[in-house]
Amino acid sequence: MTAHFVQLLDDLQRRSMRMASLVEDVVQEACEAVFDGNEKLARRVIGRDQEVDVEEVQIEAEVVRLTALYQPVGSDLRLLYTVLKTNNNLERIADCAVNIAERAEYLDRLAVGNQVNTVRQMTGIVQCMLRVAIQAYGDQDADRGYKVQSEDDAVDATYAQIIRSVVVDAAGNPDNMAAYLDILSIAKNLERIADHATNIAEDVVYLSTGEIIRHQQR
Amino acid sequence: MTLMKETPPPKQTNTPTAPHARPAADFSDAPAASDVVIRTDRLTVRYGTFEAVKRVSMSVLANQVTAIIGPSGCGKSTLLRTMNRMNDFVPGVSVDGRALFHGDDLYASGADPVALRRRIGMVFQKPNPFPKSIYRNIAWGPKINGYRGNMDELVEHALKQSALWDEVKDKLHNSALALSGGQQQRLCIARAIALQPEVLLMDEPCSALDPIATARIEDLIDELKSRFTVVLVTHNMQQAARVSGVTAFMYMGELIEVGDTNMMFTKPGNPKTQDYITGRFG
Repeated sequence: MTAHFVQLLDDLQRRSMRMASLVEDVVQEACEAVFDGNEKLARRVIGRDQEVDVEEVQIEAEVVRLTALYQPVGSDLRLLYTVLKTNNNLERIADCAVNIAERAEYLDRLAVGNQVNTVRQMTGIVQCMLRVAIQAYGDQDADRGYKVQSEDDAVDATYAQIIRSVVVDAAGNPDNMAAYLDILSIAKNLERIADHATNIAEDVVYLSTGEIIRHQQR
Repeated sequence: MTLMKETPPPKQTNTPTAPHARPAADFSDAPAASDVVIRTDRLTVRYGTFEAVKRVSMSVLANQVTAIIGPSGCGKSTLLRTMNRMNDFVPGVSVDGRALFHGDDLYASGADPVALRRRIGMVFQKPNPFPKSIYRNIAWGPKINGYRGNMDELVEHALKQSALWDEVKDKLHNSALALSGGQQQRLCIARAIALQPEVLLMDEPCSALDPIATARIEDLIDELKSRFTVVLVTHNMQQAARVSGVTAFMYMGELIEVGDTNMMFTKPGNPKTQDYITGRFG
């Protein structure tokens, strides 16, 4: 019975990690699509979101099933709880990626030339955070979880910098307002992805140590 | 109150005058919620040369349910039975270290195990009502202890405290053996609490019961803790998680870990506890 449960937990973890890899790819493609104006790639991102949604529901159902049937405790309980929460964060990240990809068709990159480089820089940090958070999740590595958490402030600062830059530029170029709203939307969704990556990292710390570190002073 | 023969217990304890309350003399030194009622200090119990309990030090706090869990043969029942000297009946048993009840050594020369068992009652794995009426099952203990109060009230109160009154009030003089297993176990709890003990030791009290009877006993344990200190030995970890405030994990005679039940079942400190509660061994 226990060996069977351990096998089911392993299967669930692998399935969750496959979903995490899928979401990481989707974010990568969404960023490429929007900065390269690649509408075909953007449509692919939007299409893959359904795949993520289906997987999210199935993983959640499996967590509920295992909790009901095996009444897990200790590290097993923490694992199922973390898979459930990470599952939700991954699905939201995919939604953010779709929002970013949807701007590919409309974003006037020339009009927001001052901001594009900063958003690209932000993209690099966010993708790195997401990658490390997923690695930490796979390895149940609290140290890398803390590392991701500490990066979130840098993303917030960059986002604030982009907002200030847009406010200044938009005042002088009201004709480009649509492009400014597009770049703000992209930055906002990147910032949300960083938040979700941080949530995953914080849950990894809980999974590894049993400590809840959310909402603590960093 | 001491358990030493040299200093007999106050009269009230043996001949309670109030059926519904512990005698006044006991209230005066009643422990606060956080007080230690029973403490073991490097307690070792041997059956012949076999060490069933090895240097166990732990405290049982007043008005708490303390669960002792562990695989078969880990010494949890032996530890429990040491707390009211039920092991005295086992040939070849020997005890080292100390077991203290309100600071008095239970195994000091001259300690009176009969007086002790009036204050530390026990409920066993299998319901064991006397082959007598429901009423006489409850009344028997107080009667032989010289109780001179209103026996009807005492019986009713004990049955109400054990959540059995409504089911048996119209058949108090029927045989206790006609009750269901779950009812018999609650009768045994009523029988134990009729003597107004401070502590109830429960050795797998639900293992012979179906899930519904088990749920009733668990509800009862939860109610009893406001008036009694409960020590519960159980194989059922979900039961320990549900009803206890403190959980102790034993393995091969040793106390591996003891602590807050919530922590023990979500973030145990010792890998052996982790492996046991998640079913990796045991």
